[in-house]
Amino acid sequence: MSETTKETVIEQAEEKKPLLTRLEEEGEIAADYLEALLDIADLDGDIDMDVENGRAAVAIAGGNLSTLVGRNGEVLDALQELTRLAVQTVTDERSRLMLDIEGYRVQRREEIAEAALRAIEEVKSTGTAVRMASMNPFERKIVHDTVAESDLTSESEGEEPNRRVVILPA
Amino acid sequence: MIEEALSHLVKGIVDNPDDVTVTDRNGRRGRTLEVRVHPEDLGRVIGRNGRTAKALRTVIVALGGESVRVDLVDVDGGKSRPE
Repeated sequence: MSETTKETVIEQAEEKKPLLTRLEEEGEIAADYLEALLDIADLDGDIDMDVENGRAAVAIAGGNLSTLVGRNGEVLDALQELTRLAVQTVTDERSRLMLDIEGYRVQRREEIAEAALRAIEEVKSTGTAVRMASMNPFERKIVHDTVAESDLTSESEGEEPNRRVVILPA
Repeated sequence: MIEEALSHLVKGIVDNPDDVTVTDRNGRRGRTLEVRVHPEDLGRVIGRNGRTAKALRTVIVALGGESVRVDLVDVDGGKSRPE
């Protein structure tokens, strides 16, 4: 490949960045925003960036960051919201970045998937619908995904923040 | 630390970060952090249905304790609360 051709290729790549590059950039912007916050608050944490399921994913682990998770993850959700806005301010595009702190979301995902599996068994053995506890959209999606892998169906009912998944008999 | 944290969080989400100031006031009713932003950015720091303002308060209370209040004010001095 000649020099000129190489340059043209690079220019084109800069004009229309591939999705993966954009998501990696999102992760970097988010990590800068969060790292500065940890510094100011004098909190220790290792920040990990990744791309998962078409989204940027940033995880902070430090062993002593439970204040940044909060009751039912409410501080974590607030920080995720602010971090998405910080990314949007730089990129001018909506961000669906996922933030996790101390593995809260990973653990929550496992707990919810287990609860969904138990509910699926209950629906199968009783033949009646089961209403899950109220959950946020992220958590409801875990239930819907788990149900989709069985031969049952599910739907959501109610209004936020009391919206919940109902698992229906076959 | 807490006003610096709030200042950082707000500066990262506005178009005019240089116009962001945070004033720490200790009054009879406790500690209030007054955030001033460029008028164009006020909508942004409040967010749809006050969502962003709520997120800022949630994080600041987590870092600084239940007694800290956060007030959003634009540089003209107008309060962010609904009239």
